[in-house]
Amino acid sequence: MDRRTIHRDAPAEARSGWKICQGAAAIAIAGLAGCGGGGSSGGGDSLPPITATADVPASDADASRFLTQATFGPRRSDIALLNANGFTGWIEWQKILPISLQRPGLEALDVTGDVYQQHRVYSWWRNAVVGPDQLRQRMAFALSQIFVVSDVAGSLGNDPIGMAEYYDILTRNALGNYRELLEQVTLSPVMGRYLSMLGNEKADPVHNIRPDENYAREVMQLFTIGLYELNPDGTRQLDGSGDPIPTYDQADIENFARVFTGWTYADADSWHWPDENYRPMQPWLGYHDTGAKTLLNGLVLSSNQTPLEDLEAALDNLFLHQNVGPFISRLLIQRLVTSNPSPEYVGRVAEVFADDGTGERGDLFEVAKAILLDDEARNGHTNDPVNFGKLKEPLLRQTALWRAFQASSTLGTYQDGWPEGPWGQAPLRSPSVFNFYSPSYRPPGEMLDNGLFGPEFQITTHTLITSGTNRLHDLVLWLNDGNTSVDSDDVVIHTAYERSLANDPVALVDHLNLLLMGGQMSSWMHDVVVDRASHVSMADGGYDRVTEAVYLIVTSPEGAVQR
Amino acid sequence: MGLGDKGVSRRGLLQLGAGAAGLYAMRDLAMVSSFGAPVGGGYRALVCVFLYGGNDSFNLLVPTSTARYAEYLAARQNLAVPVEDLLPIAPTTSDGITYGIHPSCPELRTLFDAGQLAIVRNVGTLIAPLTKAQYQSGSSAVPPQLFSHSDQQFQWQTGVSGSVENVGWGGRVADVAGNLNLGSQVAMNMSLSGSNTFQVGHDTLPYNLGTNGAIQLNGLFQNWNQDRTAAFETLLDAPHSNRLVRQFAGIQRQAIDVQGVVTSALASAAPLTTVFPNSGLGKQLKMVARMIAIRANLSASRQVFFVSRGGFDTHDDQEQDQPGLYADISQCLAAFQAAMVELGIADSVTAFTGSDFGRTLTSNGDGSDHGWGSHHLVLGGGVRGGDLYGTMPSFQMGGPDDVGGGRLLPTTSVDQYSATLARWYGLTGPQITSVFPNVGNFATSDLGFLT
Repeated sequence: MDRRTIHRDAPAEARSGWKICQGAAAIAIAGLAGCGGGGSSGGGDSLPPITATADVPASDADASRFLTQATFGPRRSDIALLNANGFTGWIEWQKILPISLQRPGLEALDVTGDVYQQHRVYSWWRNAVVGPDQLRQRMAFALSQIFVVSDVAGSLGNDPIGMAEYYDILTRNALGNYRELLEQVTLSPVMGRYLSMLGNEKADPVHNIRPDENYAREVMQLFTIGLYELNPDGTRQLDGSGDPIPTYDQADIENFARVFTGWTYADADSWHWPDENYRPMQPWLGYHDTGAKTLLNGLVLSSNQTPLEDLEAALDNLFLHQNVGPFISRLLIQRLVTSNPSPEYVGRVAEVFADDGTGERGDLFEVAKAILLDDEARNGHTNDPVNFGKLKEPLLRQTALWRAFQASSTLGTYQDGWPEGPWGQAPLRSPSVFNFYSPSYRPPGEMLDNGLFGPEFQITTHTLITSGTNRLHDLVLWLNDGNTSVDSDDVVIHTAYERSLANDPVALVDHLNLLLMGGQMSSWMHDVVVDRASHVSMADGGYDRVTEAVYLIVTSPEGAVQR
Repeated sequence: MGLGDKGVSRRGLLQLGAGAAGLYAMRDLAMVSSFGAPVGGGYRALVCVFLYGGNDSFNLLVPTSTARYAEYLAARQNLAVPVEDLLPIAPTTSDGITYGIHPSCPELRTLFDAGQLAIVRNVGTLIAPLTKAQYQSGSSAVPPQLFSHSDQQFQWQTGVSGSVENVGWGGRVADVAGNLNLGSQVAMNMSLSGSNTFQVGHDTLPYNLGTNGAIQLNGLFQNWNQDRTAAFETLLDAPHSNRLVRQFAGIQRQAIDVQGVVTSALASAAPLTTVFPNSGLGKQLKMVARMIAIRANLSASRQVFFVSRGGFDTHDDQEQDQPGLYADISQCLAAFQAAMVELGIADSVTAFTGSDFGRTLTSNGDGSDHGWGSHHLVLGGGVRGGDLYGTMPSFQMGGPDDVGGGRLLPTTSVDQYSATLARWYGLTGPQITSVFPNVGNFATSDLGFLT
């Protein structure tokens, strides 16, 4: 049953082609979202007038909590905007904002000088910190941890522009349709190189050579259906003996591997040459396995289909599998809201994935909305305060700090090219296709004993927790606007507003609690920070007092966990 | 407000279980006493060298007898190493086959010849002995999710295929042997390569350190910032109500408590003269060697280390990439063994490899795909080296060991391999069967490659 309504009748070329801006074209409001201009053009902060009032945040803290889940960190202005327009109005507005991209900026830089991976990371920071399209960017970052590619892989390390375009694919489609995203990811030459579908050939029985199984396996295990048959709420189906039921076997993988044969660089002169860093891969019929193939749920692809026909049918076969909704919904909830969503929460979101209300399957915008507006997202902190929430991803601890205090550099850039050093995380730089952490990682100790997942704890080692705290030390206590000896490329936080509050330590901490902790600071912690702040001299106009309080909050255990 | 009240700080630790600061939960001790204490005395260390991605070990140890090499060549085609390039070895025990080691590994050959290196053949995840017919008919238990990276890493590291329990065999060994380090300020299990399942026990939490040792917190714990430090520690050690907050606090607290001990012990040790390769694996093994050097300062009589190297998932460009991967393993292991000799502790330290799985004998054009059984290396003065263990599988396509595409059915289980290591570490019979519940399904729990 195909409930997907978009793109089904479009010519194959248009569906898989580079030239149109599919994600946006399908959903955008005319005149606003083009094919993403260069970089983070300001989108203007004007919202459509509020129509529904039922979903206005109950308080500033409520607004801040929401923005911690939906953006790279709340700012005072965001809280005001959300209060004035309501959750739904804000979400709808986010969807139509111009798309902040990475590749155009890198290509511009390429004209005047060399471009390296750090430039790609600089542009990631810029879009995360000042891009107006925050919800899209946050979703794209979540998707980059599902559809993983990494510049750690040798051949991709030299291709920052290709990697940037890969991220742009995720960004353009982050609020679009999942099926379209899956196809663009599959045909990206960056993914093609990363999981070796590029250049994959039909079998040569004489030499025992068989198609490469890499993409076939991981597209199922990680990008679509996962290892085990799921119920609609994401829990595992069990067989008569109480065991989970595998979704596929080795024979299925071999069939999918045969589907994914015959693709190489766009407009190549020969099978492997020349390379091409971002246009979608193109098929070469002579290298494609044209035999019949049996896929999941008994679907048979007849022989002599073209490579594209096989690929479309195989991606449809995966996309229509009942697992995709619950599988992807759980992963996205874990990236945005909480590490341990209830089955009911996963089920509600998966239902939207299956049908957004208009008959469309895989509408990621509606999925994002369902994740953020769900009762569990909005009220989990009071309904289950012991278990709700997630450890903030390391990069999000830094973006939240930078957004809260309008961080900028004299050069206007965000030159932090190797954040994995202190943090163990950097965009598109995980050690393997299994991301920085497993969605099923249970940290040893009390959480393991209680069956709680905590993916981000997998990179919270004794070493990285300390280097992360040290990084925050530098970002707050050194790189602030009270420091007159910073370099032009140093990104500096601005604390003027906070200094205006600093004579009243309680007001200062109340404000920081709102901005940095969604108002979730315990009263006990509040007292400690106020006590410490009140003992810091105001002789310098409040710089030291403000930064001392900020430092204590962002490095604290309470501050490290999003609730 | 009792700023800096250290009284609260230990609470988080206890909740996290044993590991740092010499605190061991009661059930740990109870478990030990019920089996009798592990063999004490002396010092022993295990060093797990995990090769992430699935090492294609069938090019590391290659049969060179005419008929066997012909099978190898027919199966591997463009992945095969030319027979004239292989470095011949002479195993103590002959099985009628001659063997060579990959040309990128002269150091491994030297170690093998010197009797310090053993190779265990065709090891893989199994629940019980399995024939090809049983595998194909589905009549016997087969490990779940064969050929999947994450699942097979997990099963290798837990030592119990089919278990869903998130504890590794190195962790369970430390649960049993933990009392031997009583009074130690640092955990028995230390990782140089971040979080892993292998070292996590029911009551054992591994300690992670970097290749430069333990990191110090900046701007805290100095005379000039006592007030800030007091506030920082108070926020850390608060009686947090949320479990994720508690978990974070517990890790930071352990990091602080252990850092000083490790840093000062390392500072007091004489530098190693052995030169290690400047690779990631080389740096990790060098820090392991340094930690072994300061074992007395740490009051450690048993230690389990974890290091790793990635890049073995050679679906692509295997011919180009494999020599570099092998050379790094060979050079790093040789340097590590040299350092152990330098420290005079070689007989008490055993390094061994693990990996997701072996790879297909057959080629996908320019690489190999996920397989099952694979050969593994065991290194150290306690190793009965210069010999091959386990059974050499047939490389015949469609033959008795080929379950399809040159994925080879293991003839020795990970459980047996691991149990042999654990026994050498000091575990006795009942403790072995407690740590490796499936090992009794196999003919022996001691493969004999350790003294």
